[in-house]
Amino acid sequence: MATFKEYRERPAENPIAVIHANHVLPPGARPIQGQRAGFVSRAIAAGIDVTLIFITVMLTAAALWMLSFIIDPTTAASNEQNRVPDLFIMVAYGYFLNWAYWTICWALSGRTIGNLVMGVRVVSRKGERIGWGGAAVRSAFCAVFPFGLLWVIVSGANRSVQDVVLRTSVIYDWVVGLPTLARVLGRTAYEPERVEDGQ
Amino acid sequence: MSDEPRQEVVLITRPAVPGPPNPMDTLREVISTSLGMAAYTASTMASLVEQTVTYAVESSVNAALDRLVPAIADAIVERLDLTDIVLEQVDLNRIVNSALDTLDLTQLVIDRVDIDEIVAQADIDRVIDRVPIIPLANFVIEEIDLPQIIRESTGGVATDAVNAIRVQGVGADQLVSRIADRMLLRRRQRKVEVPGDPESLMGESTRAESPMEEELTREQPADESLMGRMRDDFTSNDRSARITDPTRET
Repeated sequence: MATFKEYRERPAENPIAVIHANHVLPPGARPIQGQRAGFVSRAIAAGIDVTLIFITVMLTAAALWMLSFIIDPTTAASNEQNRVPDLFIMVAYGYFLNWAYWTICWALSGRTIGNLVMGVRVVSRKGERIGWGGAAVRSAFCAVFPFGLLWVIVSGANRSVQDVVLRTSVIYDWVVGLPTLARVLGRTAYEPERVEDGQ
Repeated sequence: MSDEPRQEVVLITRPAVPGPPNPMDTLREVISTSLGMAAYTASTMASLVEQTVTYAVESSVNAALDRLVPAIADAIVERLDLTDIVLEQVDLNRIVNSALDTLDLTQLVIDRVDIDEIVAQADIDRVIDRVPIIPLANFVIEEIDLPQIIRESTGGVATDAVNAIRVQGVGADQLVSRIADRMLLRRRQRKVEVPGDPESLMGESTRAESPMEEELTREQPADESLMGRMRDDFTSNDRSARITDPTRET
């Protein structure tokens, strides 16, 4: 398979590819495919992810709160505060959830839901998917030190602190179509084509 | 008339100068003229009588026949089995065939038959009961690939929205980069190239992306009836073989 550079420069060979190229990607989107993404796209993607995690944490808290009434219906005044976990535990749970979510997504497909929306993908130094280890480390790094993303603004190569340290990149790679569970989990439909292209 | 004197023709030569009128001659002329008149009258009378008689006889005979013939014919027909005779003696096939050959039956039916009336009275429900509606509907849905059309149309709207967000994001990215570069007095372009494959766009130029495009490029069999294709579709267990597009998620 061609690299992004070749892909961008190569003219489409058959009429269907021309139709596809003209209709699937919006005008002007083709030349940037495969380049490192800038700050805004990545920040929005991260914001979407963190928001989803936040909602999940809140739903978990609500579920626990409701569950507590089933387990202990008596409402003693002294008991009131124990119905919801402590803030510290909630935050830790949120961090853990975020770390696990990013790790799984980046290792399997290189894309979180936020990445899918913004059309970016995390790749290794060689432009491949980062492995489970790399994903776990990067995820932890991002969760602990989110301000590393700000380095993208001043970096000469659109890299965050995490990218510089772990030698990863976040590139524009627009998935056409809706983010589906299959895509998030890496069971993308593109695998057979890769086999085809290898032949 | 029977005592009519015998006439003789005598050739007489006479001088050119007419002599004194002969009373005998005059008499003879009168007699002969009278006889001629009488003969003419007689013959006319005879023919008149004959015609009158003929008419009278004919009309009476006709009246008699008019009464007699139907009665006789009825009596004959009553005593004969005409159907049997016709069936035995007549080559009905030949007659019917020659009749059909000379007729344009289709045009005849179109001209003379009220087809709307027939259809209005026909029991359509019974006809419909015999039509395999569900397999037919399934075949149509399968053939036009309705689920894929629905997916593509709804996906298209969502893709447009997502693309709009992405385009905005890229624009903002570039704006931020430009401002930062200017503030840092950086002249050179950012190094944004990365090795690697366009995973999500892989194979774009080598194969059709959607079943609809596949349908466009696929070679259609030349002569294949609808029912034949239906039958093939519903007898074949290997229906998944028709779905070769890996991007299709069900």
